[in-house]
Amino acid sequence: MDTKTTVLNVLNDLTGTDVSGDLDGNLFDSGLLDSMGTVQLLLQLQSELGVDVPVSEFERSEWDTPNKIIARVEAMQN
Amino acid sequence: MKITNVIQAIDEEAVRKPQQIAYDYLGQTHTYQDLKKYSDALACHIAKMDLDPQAPIMVYGEQNFEMIATFIGVVKSGHAYIPIDKHSPNERLTMIQEIAKPAACIAVEPLPITISQIPVVTTQDLTQVFESSIQAEWHQKVKNEQDFYIIFTSGTTGKPKGVQISHQNLTSFVNWMLTDFGLPTSPVCLAQAPYSFDLSVMSLYPTLVSGGTLRVLPKQVTDDFKQLFAYLPKMALNEWVSTPSFMDICLLQPTFDAKHLPDLSHFLFCGEELTHQTASLLKQRFPKAHIYNTYGPTETTVAVSALEITSEVLQKYDRLPIGKSKADTTIDIVDSQGNILPTDQEGEIVISGPGVSKGYLNNPQKTAHAFQQIKGKLSYHSGDLGKKDVNGMLFYRGRLDFQIKLHGYRIELEEVNHYLNMQTLIKQAVAVPKYDRDHKVAQLVAYVIAKENVFKTDMELVLAIKKDLQKMMMPYMIPNRFVFKDNLPLTANGKIDIKSIMSEVNS
Repeated sequence: MDTKTTVLNVLNDLTGTDVSGDLDGNLFDSGLLDSMGTVQLLLQLQSELGVDVPVSEFERSEWDTPNKIIARVEAMQN
Repeated sequence: MKITNVIQAIDEEAVRKPQQIAYDYLGQTHTYQDLKKYSDALACHIAKMDLDPQAPIMVYGEQNFEMIATFIGVVKSGHAYIPIDKHSPNERLTMIQEIAKPAACIAVEPLPITISQIPVVTTQDLTQVFESSIQAEWHQKVKNEQDFYIIFTSGTTGKPKGVQISHQNLTSFVNWMLTDFGLPTSPVCLAQAPYSFDLSVMSLYPTLVSGGTLRVLPKQVTDDFKQLFAYLPKMALNEWVSTPSFMDICLLQPTFDAKHLPDLSHFLFCGEELTHQTASLLKQRFPKAHIYNTYGPTETTVAVSALEITSEVLQKYDRLPIGKSKADTTIDIVDSQGNILPTDQEGEIVISGPGVSKGYLNNPQKTAHAFQQIKGKLSYHSGDLGKKDVNGMLFYRGRLDFQIKLHGYRIELEEVNHYLNMQTLIKQAVAVPKYDRDHKVAQLVAYVIAKENVFKTDMELVLAIKKDLQKMMMPYMIPNRFVFKDNLPLTANGKIDIKSIMSEVNS
């Protein structure tokens, strides 16, 4: 599975919503993610893709859409 | 140290150490002298308003200094306050006004709707009152059995219940905090929980009566992890009060440890189950700190039992106990007929003692249901399932009804269902909890039969439903996930089969 599919699966599982139809939709504004959801997201990304996001570097505005999350994770894998 | 009057004890700090910092909101500091001056001025202002002396006052706001100065001013004027958080939906303000029949409303933050029929102290009025140089003290302050604060919790029919906490209830709690936890004198204490959540009381009054400093971590900072972790080491906290869920966020950061936060000596948890995993990781990070697990319903004033989680406790128990009851309180485990059960048998946790509330404001029916006089002592039937071992150690085992805790917030599933079924895009719906490995509720999941609609995707439909629900419900009550179905499983009696949906969600 490529990174994009894995990230979308993680988001799908976390939010219970298929977000692939709206990759630029703001996950926080829509209420799909909150602080606790973010914690789960970071833990999932770590266990499924091995990316360690330093939580102290986590700025919401850089992670607020599916596309931004995919781009971030891909950048961290390279 | 023991106190006899909360307000008097705080005022004495203002006389003893007027320049001591009482409150620090992101670097905006206020002293004990400020607190006394502001609250005295407000109490005099309220006295002049000539309100019904028995009626409470609604206080709307967030976490700034003016909010706590208002609480204390209201109590000094002889009224109880009802804290309402700025992040509440407008409906809740209206509903609380309807139920509580308050004498007035104080808008520490500008009100989102017009409050009619009662006098409103606007944000501007309040600033003027605080800036006025009234020096007079007002001597009608709340005491004994009179209500000090009223906190609204989730109710089953969409109507929240107002838990009345008297001065005596609060004094019993504060004295326990001052004697049984070995807290530092005049601690610097974390103030993170919103004031509409009674966990905040665990920071607020024990710290103020001991001349300590409250350092606020407001929602806008905790929501932004980068800011949160930049600010935490600068706070120089001695005492930590939060839900275990909030601690789970902080523990994500590897430098959240004793090396980087050397002043932090006490951790107090309440509001939901403290898991073994959270406690042991915290103990690794802060080996010398004192970690306390506490337990208690809002109806018995914040918390009534506690246990220090030491390495021995972690070794001995896989699921952590909730400790022993405080000295002035009795906790029994009873069966459905109210008979006290022998040790190690599971039953309902029933709490009696001076911390037990007199009941729900203007709701005799619900009060009679949960509160009882047993041998002249007021008891509260918690609806929590638990057991007690031979040493009096208490264990929490879940709920007897459809109430859950999600990240510390108490939610009646019936209330969630009530709102879901009122929503115009929903034909029928039921909400169920999804549990994680540690028996904690991780998510609230709604099973929904949708009405015919024009939305192209489920996501659009979810967003439309959530947006509408935000107008009626507290944000934490809105289900995290929506699962759409053509029909829901029914029991033999034709009711929605919640048990089968719960097992599907948790399989």
